[in-house]
Amino acid sequence: MRVPRRGLSCCLVVGAASGFAALMLICGSVARAHEIGTTRVSVLLQADRYQIEIATDATALLEKLEASAGRPPSPYKGSARSEAWLATFDEIFRRRLKVAFDGSDVHPRIEYSVSPQTDTTSPPLATVRLSGGIPRGARDFTWTYSWTFASYALTVRSDRSETPLTEWLEGGQTSKPFLLSGAAPPIDRIVAAWRYFTLGFTHIVPNGLDHVLFVLGIFLLSGRARAVLWQVSAFTVAHSITLGLSMYNLIAVSPSFVEPLIAISIAYVAIENIFLSEVRSWRVVLVFAFGLLHGMGFAGALKELGLPRSDFLTALLTFNVGVEAGQLTVIAAAFLLVGMRYGTRDWYRRRIVVPASLLIAFTALYWTVQRLPF
Amino acid sequence: MFRRLGKLVVAAIALSPAQLFAHDMWIDPTTFFPESGQIVGLRLRVGQDLLGDPLPRDPSLISLFIFEDATGRKPVVGRDGADPAGFMRVATPGLVVVGYHSNPSAVELTPEKFNQYLKEEGLDAVAALRARRNEMGAKAHEVFSRCAKTLVLSGPASDGQRDRILGFTLELVAERNPYAIATDRELPFRLTYENRPLPGALVVAMSRVNPSAKLTARTDSDGRVRFRLKQAGMWLVKAVHMIPAPPGANAEWASYWASLTFELKDAP
Repeated sequence: MRVPRRGLSCCLVVGAASGFAALMLICGSVARAHEIGTTRVSVLLQADRYQIEIATDATALLEKLEASAGRPPSPYKGSARSEAWLATFDEIFRRRLKVAFDGSDVHPRIEYSVSPQTDTTSPPLATVRLSGGIPRGARDFTWTYSWTFASYALTVRSDRSETPLTEWLEGGQTSKPFLLSGAAPPIDRIVAAWRYFTLGFTHIVPNGLDHVLFVLGIFLLSGRARAVLWQVSAFTVAHSITLGLSMYNLIAVSPSFVEPLIAISIAYVAIENIFLSEVRSWRVVLVFAFGLLHGMGFAGALKELGLPRSDFLTALLTFNVGVEAGQLTVIAAAFLLVGMRYGTRDWYRRRIVVPASLLIAFTALYWTVQRLPF
Repeated sequence: MFRRLGKLVVAAIALSPAQLFAHDMWIDPTTFFPESGQIVGLRLRVGQDLLGDPLPRDPSLISLFIFEDATGRKPVVGRDGADPAGFMRVATPGLVVVGYHSNPSAVELTPEKFNQYLKEEGLDAVAALRARRNEMGAKAHEVFSRCAKTLVLSGPASDGQRDRILGFTLELVAERNPYAIATDRELPFRLTYENRPLPGALVVAMSRVNPSAKLTARTDSDGRVRFRLKQAGMWLVKAVHMIPAPPGANAEWASYWASLTFELKDAP
C-alpha cells in the first residue's frame, strides 16, 4: 500500500507536538527518562523503493550546518529563503547520515523544505525527504543520523508489515537492522490466524443471522447427512471463490446489489423447502450460485475489518475457516436440538420444516425490502 | 589562573561523533533583555559548542523549573511537549535568575566513549578511580542530572543586582552581575556541590560568537574561578561533577551538569 508522501509529512508536522506526550510515555515505559528532542525520522519501505522523512528544528539544523561548513550565520533564518539556503548544504548534510542496505551505503535523492513559523514562539520546522531504490535482494535496512544531539524516534513502516516499528536513537547511533523480508515471527502469525478465525466464526454466530437462516434453510430441506453435505460443500466452495476474488480486488460488486440478493437467496431456499421434500441436483447448483453471493457479502465484512498486509493469505484463509466453523456449528446445533430427535418422525416436515421455513422466508423477504437501495 | 585554549580548528571537529554523549545543556531565553511586563520564552538546548537541539518541555524530567526576581520565586510555566519549554513574565525591573534542575536520566556508554568524555570534562579523579579499579575497558552506566541557570536583565543594570543561589545539587553562581561589568573584565564564579564549595573542578566558558575558543579554569579551594570575558554576546559557563552512584541507582556513576548563560553587551 502506498502512503502518500504529503500525508506522511503532514503526520510528522502535525503530530510532532501533540504526539510528544505519548512518545514520552512509550519511552518512559522502557527506560528511565531520556532527553528527547524535537527531531523525528519516519521511514517507509516499499517493494523496491524507500522514502525517509526527517522532521527537525530548522534553525538548529542550519546552525550546525553553517558551523560545519565554516560559513557565517544565515541571514534567512525563519524566512522563506531558508529553504534554498538549507539546500546549499547538501554535500555537508550527507556526510552525517547513512542509509544502508545489508551494510552498504546508498546515495538517496534529497529534498529540503522549511515550513514557516505558525507563531512567534514556535520554531520553523525543516522537513528533509530522502528517497531511492532498494537494491535487489537486500535483506536489511539500517539508519544513522548525526545531526541531532538529543534522543529521537525512528519509525519504520513497511509494505509487508502492518505495525510500524519505533526505535529510540541517540544522534550518531546506528539503528538495529530492519529486516526487509517482513517475515513475522511464528507467534504473530498464529495470533493473526486465531484472530481472523474468531472474526470469521463470530461473523456467523452470533452476528450473521442472515447467514444462519440460509444454513438452517439448507439443513431443513433434508436431515440426511449426504444431502446436507452436498449443499454445504457447494456453498463453501462458492463463497470461498468470491471471498478470495473480492479480497484480491479481482471482482467488485456493490453491497447495495449483493445484500438484497443475499436476502432473496435465503427467502428462495426457505420457500423451496415448503414445496420440495428432497434435494434435487439443481438445488445444489442453486446453492452454489447463492454461495457466490454470500462470499461477496463476507468480503464486504472482511474489508471493513481490514486484513494485515504481512499475513494477508493467512488472515483470508482463517477467516474463511472461521466462517465454515460457524456454519457447521449452526448445523450441528440444529441437528442436536431438532434433527437427531425428530428428523425421522412423520410430523417433522409438517410441524418443523414448513413452519420454520415460512418464518425464515418472511424474515428474508422483509430483509429484501429493507435492503433495497430505493 | 585562566588560560585560553587555542581554536579547535572548526566546529566540524567539535561535532565529531566521538563526543556523542558529552553534551552540554543550557537555557537559551528568547531575550536576555526583556522589557518590564514582557513574556520571555525559555528554550532548553542540548548540544556542543552552543550548537544545540531543542528540548521540549518534558514533565517527567523536570525536578525544578523556576525563576526568582526581587519579588521572590515563581514557577516557569509551559505546555508539555512544547519548545520553548517554559515562559515567564518579567513583572518588575531587575535581574531575573532562571533555574532548571532535571531528574536523572540514564545512559550506557562504551568504555572508549566514557573514557574520552571523562577526559573532555576534566573528570580526572573518576578516570583515576576507574584505572585503579581496572575498569577502563568496562562499559559505564551513568545517571546524569542537569542544573541549568540563566540570568536575564530587565531595565538598567547595577552592581547591587546579584545572581541567586537556587540550591541546585551542582550550581554555578556569578559573584558579580555580568550586566554591570564592562566587557574585557574579570567575572568571578563560584561552583558549589550540595551547597558547599567544590574545589578542583574544571569550569569552561564559551561565547556564542566563537565557541571553539574556550576559556577553562579549575576551581580553587573556595570553589571559585575567574574569567576575563572579552567577547560581547551570549556566554555559556559550565561544569560537570561526577560521583559514584548511590545504591539503588542502577548505575555506577552519577553526574551533575551545571550551566549558566547570560549575554554581554559591547564594551562602552
